[in-house]
Amino acid sequence: MSDLIRAEFLKLRSTRTALGLFIAALVASVLPAALVMSLVPHDMLSDGGATIAASGLTLVPILAVVFGILGMTNEYRHGTITYTYLATPRRGIVIVVKLVCYGIVGTAVMAATALLVVLTIALIAALRDIALPWLTASNVSDLETLRDAGMFLLTTGLMTAFGVSLGALFRAQVPTVAGTVIWALAAESIIALVKPRLGIYLPFAAFQQLTMGGALRTGEADAIMSSLTRPEAFLVAIAYISVFSVAAVFISMRRDVT
Amino acid sequence: MAVIEAEHLSKRFGKKVLAVDDVSFGIEPGTITGFLGPNGAGKTTTLRMIVDLVRPTAGTVRVLGGRYRDLTHPTTRVGALLDASGFHPGRSGLNALRVVSRAAGIGYDRVDSALEMVELSGVAGRAVKGYSTGMKQRLALACALLGDPEVLLLDEPANGLDPEGMKWLRGFLRAQAAEGRTVLISSHVLAEIEQTVDRVLIISKGRLLAQGPIAQLAAGAAAVVRVRSPQAQKLEELLLQKGAGVNRLETALAIRGPSSAEVGELAHANDIVLHELLSEQPSLEDLFLQIAGTRRES
Repeated sequence: MSDLIRAEFLKLRSTRTALGLFIAALVASVLPAALVMSLVPHDMLSDGGATIAASGLTLVPILAVVFGILGMTNEYRHGTITYTYLATPRRGIVIVVKLVCYGIVGTAVMAATALLVVLTIALIAALRDIALPWLTASNVSDLETLRDAGMFLLTTGLMTAFGVSLGALFRAQVPTVAGTVIWALAAESIIALVKPRLGIYLPFAAFQQLTMGGALRTGEADAIMSSLTRPEAFLVAIAYISVFSVAAVFISMRRDVT
Repeated sequence: MAVIEAEHLSKRFGKKVLAVDDVSFGIEPGTITGFLGPNGAGKTTTLRMIVDLVRPTAGTVRVLGGRYRDLTHPTTRVGALLDASGFHPGRSGLNALRVVSRAAGIGYDRVDSALEMVELSGVAGRAVKGYSTGMKQRLALACALLGDPEVLLLDEPANGLDPEGMKWLRGFLRAQAAEGRTVLISSHVLAEIEQTVDRVLIISKGRLLAQGPIAQLAAGAAAVVRVRSPQAQKLEELLLQKGAGVNRLETALAIRGPSSAEVGELAHANDIVLHELLSEQPSLEDLFLQIAGTRRES
């Protein structure tokens, strides 16, 4: 198993897919943060508007799903799955190792990106002499804040693993990526509008609710929609990942590699 | 005991495509066996069933006494070249092999020696997308050799090789045989492996038509009569009327069925001038055509 894990990390290091995720995450989050902090008027940022600067981070979990899909579908696209299964004919282990490794990399990329976003905001705030109460040492080390940050990282890891299971299930790269992005960004919102009670149980809604601890505490979420509690959202997310992962393992074991 | 043993192996894709149909064979240790057949005959599917990449619809296949998936460190027992294009284009040849060796629990020192064996050490750091077809073929061969396996399965290893590469491959196969490895090598270009293999399996349209040593199969096959004549077309028509198998290329005929004496007498009786008349032992290609043709007729 440890050999297989090291092989998986070597695969990630020896191509540009993981680097691509990191660059995409930086473009989606650090760049907007820098622009907002540099261009938005002083008083708007002091009033808490600086949190908007960090909003690009919410796109990173979606990028992580795509990264997970690419990790699995690339094996089929480039035919490397043949050598993967020749070396490890127990296909279930291959999928489980991929889920774990990609989950770890997704989490690490999210952590590095979030750190860079916070540093970017803090640096520009210091240069423009803007006071940001949410960036004070006492606030950052607050238990609830740390829990929210941890949940954000966990969610990104889970979503990356979810992407791997989607890739293993559907194999075809472009339709899987396109279908997932459309589902996450459009289809779920439409379903939530038509059937709000059903909407909160959909996979990406569950993932999103996992990261909304702060909003739930302040009651902002209630204004948007009725939500699951964080433990409920966690259970729903885990249920989706478990079902899709088991299905991915089951189908991969039976699928011919031609 | 046979190293590879297939019993009543069949594979159906969907409802319409029967890729392999009730195939049974055994591969003896230390032999080089040619797995011959035209494109789409079922060779690749059979090889992939041996290593558990494709699940048989019916029948069983055992390698080294068990299923491939039950072997401990399978790549150290069985090396397979199945897909020369199966490498990530952005990954270097060296890393492509390192990934496989790491997953298979094989040390990196074997990566270096496998690259040396296929003469790719000098370009190992280059991304695979910059490799020629022949270089990819050699990289795939290095991948098969990583675990220093006792059994080699090679699916069309000569694809993309230039004449120099072909010569190298023949030498390579002879060296493998000299080391006592068992090799099963598939090809649709029969001439390229004729000089190398001990035994053949002949497959067409999913069915195994013949198997055994080439000499044994050739002994049971009719010789090919080669004729050169300015009236080749007229002679061809006469031979076809008599039920012979004839291939004509301008003034040259390759005839299966009648003996050289019978062909000579037929030409003489019809005032046909012959510039050349000789009887040849059948090549592997002739043998294949005879066997495939006979089975098709029956």
